[in-house]
Amino acid sequence: MAEMVKFTIDGKEAKAPEGVNLIEAAALNGVHIPNLCFLKGQKGIGACRLCLVEVEGMKAPMIGCTSKIKDGMSIKTNTEKVQEIRKFVIDLILSMHPLDCMTCTKAGVCNLQQYAYDLGIKESSFTRKKFGFSIDEANPFIKRDPDYCVLCGRCVRACKSQGTGVLEFMGRGVGSKVTTANDKPLQDSGCTFCGSCVDVCPVNALLEADRWRKGREWEYKKTDSVCTLCGNGCDITVSTKDGQVMKVNAGASNGSERYICAYGRFGFDCIEADTRVTKPMRRLNGSLKETTWEDALETAAKALKKAGKNAGIIASAGILNEDALTLKEFASAVVKTKNVDTTASLYGNAATLAGSADIKSADLFVVVDLNTDQHTRVLPALDATIRRKVNGGAKLITINANETGLAAVATVALGGNEADALKAIAKALADKGLVKDKKMADAVKGTTVSEAAGKAADLFAEAKNPVIISSPALYAAAANLSLVNGAAISVGIESNAKGVMMMGLVSSGKSYKEMADGATEVLYAIGEVPMTERPKVDFLIVQTSHMTKLAQQADVVFPSAAFLEAEGTIVDYTGNVKYVAEAIEPAGDAKTHRDIITALAKAIMGTSMKAAKESDTKKLAKVKTKVSFGPFTRVEGFDVKVGEMIESVNASVINGSRLLWLKESRVVADNKVAKVA
Amino acid sequence: MTEIKELKVEDIKKAAEEKKCRVQQGLYYITEFLAGPMCGRCFPCAFGSYEAKLRLLSIADGKGTENDIAALKLIAEEMAEASMCKKGKDTAAFIAALVTDGAFAEHIAGTCASGQCSAFMEYRIVADNCTACGKCKEVCTHNAVFGEKGKPFVQGYPFEIRRKKCTQCGECIAVCPEKAIIFIGKTSEPVHT
Repeated sequence: MAEMVKFTIDGKEAKAPEGVNLIEAAALNGVHIPNLCFLKGQKGIGACRLCLVEVEGMKAPMIGCTSKIKDGMSIKTNTEKVQEIRKFVIDLILSMHPLDCMTCTKAGVCNLQQYAYDLGIKESSFTRKKFGFSIDEANPFIKRDPDYCVLCGRCVRACKSQGTGVLEFMGRGVGSKVTTANDKPLQDSGCTFCGSCVDVCPVNALLEADRWRKGREWEYKKTDSVCTLCGNGCDITVSTKDGQVMKVNAGASNGSERYICAYGRFGFDCIEADTRVTKPMRRLNGSLKETTWEDALETAAKALKKAGKNAGIIASAGILNEDALTLKEFASAVVKTKNVDTTASLYGNAATLAGSADIKSADLFVVVDLNTDQHTRVLPALDATIRRKVNGGAKLITINANETGLAAVATVALGGNEADALKAIAKALADKGLVKDKKMADAVKGTTVSEAAGKAADLFAEAKNPVIISSPALYAAAANLSLVNGAAISVGIESNAKGVMMMGLVSSGKSYKEMADGATEVLYAIGEVPMTERPKVDFLIVQTSHMTKLAQQADVVFPSAAFLEAEGTIVDYTGNVKYVAEAIEPAGDAKTHRDIITALAKAIMGTSMKAAKESDTKKLAKVKTKVSFGPFTRVEGFDVKVGEMIESVNASVINGSRLLWLKESRVVADNKVAKVA
Repeated sequence: MTEIKELKVEDIKKAAEEKKCRVQQGLYYITEFLAGPMCGRCFPCAFGSYEAKLRLLSIADGKGTENDIAALKLIAEEMAEASMCKKGKDTAAFIAALVTDGAFAEHIAGTCASGQCSAFMEYRIVADNCTACGKCKEVCTHNAVFGEKGKPFVQGYPFEIRRKKCTQCGECIAVCPEKAIIFIGKTSEPVHT
């Protein structure tokens, strides 16, 4: 924790941690200093000049975003002088801004509108300027309307800092605009449609494309939740109106990392997709027919009861902790089978899906065997977070046998065998006398240290809070470095991979792979599992929110709550327990996974079974395993194609939303490239 | 790099000061400033100097009002206070020094003493000197000269120049053998010889 400095603001005593700028220091004490160009987490650029404040003893006003708070400062944020300047700037901006607040979607949250109101500017006193820029609305995600732009450059900097760098200024001063290289539409510019620019735009220049007359901010109910579509488990804020999701923004109100990808931001359309299952279904005379819950449960219960220990249960690792714990209990106490497993077993196990770390305070990242990519949406938030941190001065070491995008921004990039590279770094650290663990010191003896490995070890030795992020297969080897300093985490592919492991939802009978190949008589599949063909089983129960390919071949289909419709907890890749809130009620007759499981238990046993609660899972999720030395080898059997798997467990989200457009346009682009080649 | 740019502001200032009319000085300066050294990194200077250009254009065009002078004063004042760097502050100082000059009030009132603001000037044919020889009409490519060429022993009417059509190219002055065409402020009294 940084030291606190004391200062006064508008006559009030205040405190703030050392090193923050005046805007942040004021905000911590409940005072808002107007600004348009300041972007939290980034250096101030002092462009808009709205954050000018007067500081006692200073002749000229000081700029809030570029000046750091100092002990004993006396700040006045509202003097006549600074108000004059703010009025001047807002007046100038208004002279080139469309004055259509009455129909503007951003009304209510528009910074410009707010400042004009605060300063009492009804209309501009300056010459009206209009440029008639064309609007880019050729994609279903983001609408760019440069006529509204105030040229604050937040979007440009947000895009650059996360490594996408699609947006840039064209020209300077009045008449310039923010656009892509060669002024191309977004989809032709390398844009990933993450929408970070939409989140930071203070006005109506960058907006979700579907927002026109879909309600304004004050009509929305806001729910802090978590996106559960991939292993990143990003914080989100969900805006709903009349029980419908209107938009999703990055970051929760607690000020967490602000990045989500196109899946998290625009995938919510899938909730109302045509493929959505809202009624239980049962196979009758060869085809699936809608039926009642009683009938569907009865039929499934009969099959599960009959199979008993020959029944198999597989679940996606995107289910919540509470669902996982309920399912574990259901398998052992109700169905009495050992065959219960999750998709997480395809890429990890309890030992390799572990670790916790604080990414925020990291000053060095060691990324092992992970090919994060925002364009293909493979752990995109991790990619963006690391790139932002690197742009902010953090160091990066990448260790990967294959070429990765991150390697291009790495301080040191190591190729070749990952386990050997880790061993070489450990050896170099041992040579510096930093390895205290005896087993580790013994293990690295006689290893040759390459120049790059030596450099990496130097960086590691210098770092205060190194964070080692690895694939589960190399977690044991990578975590060895955390015995020297810092913390190590592995990253799963699905949002709750760590959670289901901690809940103990691990098979002691048949594995997921075996069950998916038809090793059991009856199969009960929960959530969207990466399967398209019905395995050879007598009876197939599929519990899913959408009519997946597997569900089409099922004997019974239970409609489950979709993304954003269920409440519970997950353990994210950093080992943190995150609360997933229910933003909207499950559609139609759909129920949460655990409600269906308990209902099914009742249908089997006749007596009811309690669903696990948050308090039950809390203890299990808090357990921290201590890292001990592991061999410098890759754990075999965890080789899945990460990108393909993320796409296949999200197939119904992608195919049931505007993300399909993105997928299809990518196919078209790929074909074009192929033709040229 | 910055040093070169700083110099450029000075250069523009020097070049501007060679102009006789104060309004033209301002207009030249701000146009060059916007085209060159203005970096656009802070709002007050980027937006303020552009607005100043619009106001100066309006004054130079003979459409200026008291509002324009007031706006220029405000821009100069706030830009000096709020601009990020010296370039903006220098520009503000330059404008501030200009607007207080009486020439601006003169322009608002409708005259440009130096004769450099073409909007305030016109080409006029002094009727007493015109012999209706028609040479000016022949060279005028914009059909701005009105009148009928004089015939022997017939008393014709002197030629006239239509203000709306005149582009102030100056061709007619060059060809007039009688020096009957003059370039003069619009508001000045009729000229007799």
